[in-house]
Amino acid sequence: MAVIDTTELSKRYGRRHANSVLALDRISFTVDEGQVFGFLGPNGSGKTTTIGLLLGIINPSGGSFRLFGASDSKGLLAARLRIGATLETPNFYPYMSGRDNLRIVASIKGVDRPRIEQCLELVGLAERAKHRFKTYSLGMKQRLALAATMLNDPELIILDEPANGLDPQGMHEIREIIGILASRGKTIFLSSHLLGEVERTCSHVAIVREGRIVAQGSVEEVVREGRAAMLRAENEDALVAALEGFSGATSVHRTDNGVIVKLKDQGFADVSRYLADQGIYLSYLAPYRQSLEQVFLELTKGGADLMTEIAK
Amino acid sequence: MKTLGTLIRIEAIKAAKRPAFWITLGFFAALNVMSVVDNVRRARRSTTFNYSLPESWPEILSILPMAGALFVGVLMILLFAPEFSWRTGRQNVIDGLSKTRLYTAKVFVLGGLVALFLTMVVCMGVIGTLFSPSEPSGDGLQATDYSFLAGCFLSLLLFGSAGVMFSALIRSSGAAIGILFLCFFMEKAVTELMERAGEFMRRITEYLPFNAAEDIGDDLAHYPEELARVNVNLTEMGAEPIEFLDVEILVAILLAYSTLFLVTGLLSMRARDL
Repeated sequence: MAVIDTTELSKRYGRRHANSVLALDRISFTVDEGQVFGFLGPNGSGKTTTIGLLLGIINPSGGSFRLFGASDSKGLLAARLRIGATLETPNFYPYMSGRDNLRIVASIKGVDRPRIEQCLELVGLAERAKHRFKTYSLGMKQRLALAATMLNDPELIILDEPANGLDPQGMHEIREIIGILASRGKTIFLSSHLLGEVERTCSHVAIVREGRIVAQGSVEEVVREGRAAMLRAENEDALVAALEGFSGATSVHRTDNGVIVKLKDQGFADVSRYLADQGIYLSYLAPYRQSLEQVFLELTKGGADLMTEIAK
Repeated sequence: MKTLGTLIRIEAIKAAKRPAFWITLGFFAALNVMSVVDNVRRARRSTTFNYSLPESWPEILSILPMAGALFVGVLMILLFAPEFSWRTGRQNVIDGLSKTRLYTAKVFVLGGLVALFLTMVVCMGVIGTLFSPSEPSGDGLQATDYSFLAGCFLSLLLFGSAGVMFSALIRSSGAAIGILFLCFFMEKAVTELMERAGEFMRRITEYLPFNAAEDIGDDLAHYPEELARVNVNLTEMGAEPIEFLDVEILVAILLAYSTLFLVTGLLSMRARDL
């Protein structure tokens, strides 16, 4: 069952066309129940806008979306009560204690008081719960946001950069909590810059750049999309010409050390077989499996840097 | 009904824990206490000054129309606008409130503030009369007294609605308070200019929101006998008599402006991103 389903979702900021900014350009993706979905992109790529649209704080300029199958305003309002979410920085009443802030969230979500204490315990804030929110460190604020997110034991958890601004210890704590939630079978929609963690934690990812999704699928699929190899042959001109005619290659780049080819779905044996059919016999083939981070950098910054890296 | 209870509970927690709420309320209470104490002292010193109920009903309520109304407007902004700068309103929506419900909750706050100010002033005034040596006439409150009370209510409502609207439009408490006062004083300045332009223009100024609130909060608009007596004195002194629009018209004007302000705020809230 699709928990989140967006179709051609768009957002333009500003009314006058000349000064307006197209923050989201017809993005479509689906998050199924039980998935840990990483939503990746550089700053300003439209991640927070997408989450804001899903959570009803930003009005869409075009397209549509469904949450738990609901798309009308009443259904969406009910669906949002099944979601726990934080957006950017933790937003709480600075003059209130952590516990009182959670009381407000609990009232909105229709949660009993004992659950507040459970969540405070879970994030390790029970002892500081009576202190004002404005006295909290950033790590404590993030933990309180996580506690608020978990109050109603949501089916879908949306976290926007939950480790932003945290020290390594704070990041570790947040990762552990996300790990616990994922192990409980929750659907998690995670926007993050911590690509190594996303690769380890997430089952599926979407990479967004300048308001458009440039890659999506399971982590394995997305990483496979970035599969590349360094090739050498006696006649490199012929090798390049042959590779450029190979339907399974997405890009061919000549370097001093050889020719780098990026592949779609084909394996390296397919390339080798194709080249042999063309009368070109490889003297060197070095597979290069990219990490999610490298795929991300390539897709969001352009491919030249990656090619240089492989060439080295 | 459950949603209504939730909204009221949430707003009660927010206000009760907010120091700015208690400080502002405390200032107004102190102002009111000073007014009551002054009236009691005057009644003790002077045999002609009567400070008892129902005779002093207008005296008791007199702090509400202008000072009280401005306090309600400012307090309303202090309880609403920071929801945008702290982004807590946004978080409330993320947690499951709709924008409309969040706004509705603030309209409840407005109703609560108006009721709180009215109750506080009436209670303090009534308690003050217990310390006054003046002898009450023994009559109960008259229709004119209730009319003045309703006028005070509408005056508070108008300023509070303006506070709600400016909070939703401007989204910053400092700027919203500034704009509220600016509009108030701008209307005064415009009124001054228009009054010099002739009787027709002077009549138009009576329909401006803050002028209408001021007029309906003037006890003379509700007590025709007192107005007639004052006008006789003014005529004797060669001054122009005081005139007010009918109370029914003032009520309609204030209800229309309050509704306009609240609807404008709601439309802005729904149309804009949080």
